[in-house]
Amino acid sequence: MGTIGQDIRYGVRMLVKHRLTTLVCVAALALGIGVNAAMFSVAEAFLLHPVPFENSDRIVALVDSRPSQGIDTNSVSPVTYLEWKAQAHSFDKMGAYVWDTINLTGDREAEKAQAFAISPNFFDLLGVHPLMGRTFLPEEDQVGKDQVIVLSYGLWERRYASDPLILGKKIKVDGKTLEIVGVMRKGFDYPKPAEAWVPLSFNAKQRTIRDSRYLWVLAHLKPQVSVQQATAEMRTIAVQQAEAYPDAYKGWTLRVLTIPNFATDSLTRQFTFLLLGAVGFVLLIACADVANVQFARVTGRHKELAVRTAMGASRSRIIRQLLTESVLLSLAGAVLGLLLAMWWVYLIVSHMPPEVAKFIAGWNTIRLDANAFLFTLAIAISSGIVSGIAPSWLHSETNISETLKESGRGASTGPSRHRLRSVLVIAEIALALILLVGAGLLVKGFRALIVVHENFRPATVLTLNLDLPEMQYKEKPGRTAFYAQVLQRLAALPHVQSAGLATYVPYAGGGGTGVSPFTIEGRAPEERGETPSTIVETISPDYFRLMNIGLRGGRELSDSDGDATPPVAVISQNVAKRYFSGGNPLGKKLKIGKADADSPWLTIVGIVDDVHYTWVDKQEYPTIYRSYRQAPPFYTSLVLRTNGDPLTSVSAVRSAVGEVDPDLPLFDVLPFDRVITNSIVGIAYVAAMMTILGLIALVLASVGIYGVMSYSVGERTHEIGVRMAMGATSNDVQRLILRNGLFLTIVGMAIGLPMALGIAYALSSILFGVRVADPFAFVALPLLLAAVATVACYLPARRAVRMDPLTALRYE
Amino acid sequence: MEPLIQLRNMEKVYEAGGSKFYVLRRVSLEIQPGEFVTFMGPSGAGKSTLLSIIGMLDGSWTGEYYFNGEPVHRLNVKKRNELHKANIGFVFQSYHLIDNLTVFENLEIPLSYKNVPHKERVSLVCDILDRFNIVGKKDLFPNQLSGGQQQLVGVARAVIQSPKLILADEPTGNLHSAQGEEIMELFRKLNEAGTSIIQVTHSERNAAYSHRVIQLKDGWVVSETSNAARVG
Repeated sequence: MGTIGQDIRYGVRMLVKHRLTTLVCVAALALGIGVNAAMFSVAEAFLLHPVPFENSDRIVALVDSRPSQGIDTNSVSPVTYLEWKAQAHSFDKMGAYVWDTINLTGDREAEKAQAFAISPNFFDLLGVHPLMGRTFLPEEDQVGKDQVIVLSYGLWERRYASDPLILGKKIKVDGKTLEIVGVMRKGFDYPKPAEAWVPLSFNAKQRTIRDSRYLWVLAHLKPQVSVQQATAEMRTIAVQQAEAYPDAYKGWTLRVLTIPNFATDSLTRQFTFLLLGAVGFVLLIACADVANVQFARVTGRHKELAVRTAMGASRSRIIRQLLTESVLLSLAGAVLGLLLAMWWVYLIVSHMPPEVAKFIAGWNTIRLDANAFLFTLAIAISSGIVSGIAPSWLHSETNISETLKESGRGASTGPSRHRLRSVLVIAEIALALILLVGAGLLVKGFRALIVVHENFRPATVLTLNLDLPEMQYKEKPGRTAFYAQVLQRLAALPHVQSAGLATYVPYAGGGGTGVSPFTIEGRAPEERGETPSTIVETISPDYFRLMNIGLRGGRELSDSDGDATPPVAVISQNVAKRYFSGGNPLGKKLKIGKADADSPWLTIVGIVDDVHYTWVDKQEYPTIYRSYRQAPPFYTSLVLRTNGDPLTSVSAVRSAVGEVDPDLPLFDVLPFDRVITNSIVGIAYVAAMMTILGLIALVLASVGIYGVMSYSVGERTHEIGVRMAMGATSNDVQRLILRNGLFLTIVGMAIGLPMALGIAYALSSILFGVRVADPFAFVALPLLLAAVATVACYLPARRAVRMDPLTALRYE
Repeated sequence: MEPLIQLRNMEKVYEAGGSKFYVLRRVSLEIQPGEFVTFMGPSGAGKSTLLSIIGMLDGSWTGEYYFNGEPVHRLNVKKRNELHKANIGFVFQSYHLIDNLTVFENLEIPLSYKNVPHKERVSLVCDILDRFNIVGKKDLFPNQLSGGQQQLVGVARAVIQSPKLILADEPTGNLHSAQGEEIMELFRKLNEAGTSIIQVTHSERNAAYSHRVIQLKDGWVVSETSNAARVG
């Protein structure tokens, strides 16, 4: 221990003595370690503990997937769930939940809350207990006994002022009276973003539904049963179901997912891994920089190290001494890096809109916790070893006796050291290029997303949602009348140019839309289970004009398309091209649902532009529009085109809707541009982070090449002096230095470009607007890197030509 | 008595551009325990190379080398280093003190490489500081000392681990005569106390302190002379 203390003491002294290089190294490592610590905190939250309960490794989600349509996680039908529950032996508990927005009315101002209908054993399955009261009783999944509700801590605190006597109280939910039986502990909001839970019950009809998939199923593994074993059993059951009911299960595959895999969607995982890779690259570049500095430092200390060897230091002791210095450097970088990471984590967390953050699994657990500190310590020590091992190791190749001789010129850098330093610079350039290209492509993708929705002119559009209670608005005419009155009042408001409604506003709710199968009249049935599907929008006639969705054929919907007239539909161009490529779709008929569905045939009266609903989709999805007067929905979004800032109209809008139904809460009241921003905030984060990482990589790589060229000039001072004495001009010397540096840059870029191309292919497959052959990414950015590298080579070259030949000749 | 050093047909050769360049040729010699030997010869004769080989800093040679009966030519690097660490101290012309360490720390260095416990290290360093009369310099850095003082520290550093053999390469080459004489007197006393010494020097005056002078030329041992008129 004593000798390690000695090594540390001496190491600190050496670092203090060479302040400038120490500062450069600490700064480079701080950047590398800092971005890694910050990204680890994000990845830890997303990938390791995205759910607010402990035993998540024994809980799995049983989901359907449909690879042919790119659906990797889908809910299941009630009967599927009930059959699984009856047949599976791998689990001791199996439960289910359904998304369920509820309107809280009565005692206080009407408010919409995010609830989940859950099976009574749900909390027990997760291993969580209420803060107050109880959870659900087994019999409360029966219709009639399900008039109970459990509140989240947040809802209890906010709406009921943390009333300690809340248990047993009755509240109005969607027009029904429910008894509050429990309040969950603070921070428990699963499934995200739960504010309340009600019992999940099935009526007789629901218990037979097989092809309507809306249930999410979780199950707790029995002790000693592995995920693989459970998967094998569930696949067997699924195959039996598919054989018995091929229509319902054709193309669907069961997947058993662990909770972290289920809670964090695959795209988030992919981008998290992309960013983890990117920060890893930045750290490698920083390590290469530091290794190059260490090479220079060790070479400058060859005599000292030779003396130490002569004094009895073994090779391992010398390496330990040098590694101690290197690790000390990294630890100093880690301290600064942690401060940077805290700042970055703050920036990441604080810039996420709360209405988006509440949906992201693990978001509220992003922080630099003990694991992040341990991770930082580990990468700091690893970085110290990585950046120090090669210089330390190569030192041991030095000829000690030659170094100690008085006439010896010392340990000039051998060819192996030259080679390794060149390799490090080449690697830095290659990694920096990959990061730059990745960042460039993401920025291009992000810009493409912005451009694609500019057509909506979203800055002057207000969007808000409402959900009509089923009990009160059971009948179609009541709903139609409600919407007609509301739209009329809204359109008459000052500053409002027009008002409309639609089932799904593009990009709202993360771009999620439901899709339904549809059937074209006279068309042979598709292969079993492969019915075409579409987004079904129920809109008001003004919607297309309000949103600048252009008419491409036929007519728009009108107020005269009502209950008394034949049902009609407008289709998107995508539907026309994909399903009517041989002719004119106008006048043709289709219906929502399969051929035997009990829904009316709709006559196609118009074709409109395609609409992009979510940034995830690379292509627009087929869409069929219906008139709200012919199919009035319960849930809808209102859209208003205003004269200026849409938020100035909010209170007037609330009053206008309140005049029609004072108990109806409006929710997600947001300007449309905010809706779009919220929808693409994830990719904006990734693009911004990649850009920052790309720039850091550019700076670090240029520091690396500058360091190596500068050192090389120092080493070749004598040679340069000789060349100049022999008649070499300034240009000759400059060319000599530049040629060497640019050669390394070109080799680095030649290695980096094919790898960047691989990244481009991967990104283009997951992100709208990313093209593999992107001139910005593959021409402009490499040129930028080459230009920066040229400057980094030019500065030492300029220093070389300014040397006095006589001084250079005397240089040893 | 078994010789401290026994070399048989030792050769060292450099290969460059396909041709061989001999630095040492068929060197055979014996040095007894307690002997003070001088290597002399013109530049390029192979003196310093021979010293490095005897000091086990250089392992690329052929022939046989026995140190205190141990066949060095059969030892692996690790064992050779152990042997070197336990028995040999070095003194250099340019002192080769480590610039960033104080006198105390420079003296501590060889002990720490022998894994001597901290308390014992401190005690040994304090002893040697006292013995060499440099207690007052213990916290100074090498650049705060004169050349003579630096070499004094260099000798103290070689002696601190009580080696059987001290190898000195031109130990007074950078010192003026009075300082040089002081260092040579120090060597003489150490030799009288039982430490074997081999020095490389161009100085007849320094050679006069030794029992025997071995002349080298172009890698060959050309003569050996006993020093009847030894100083002291």
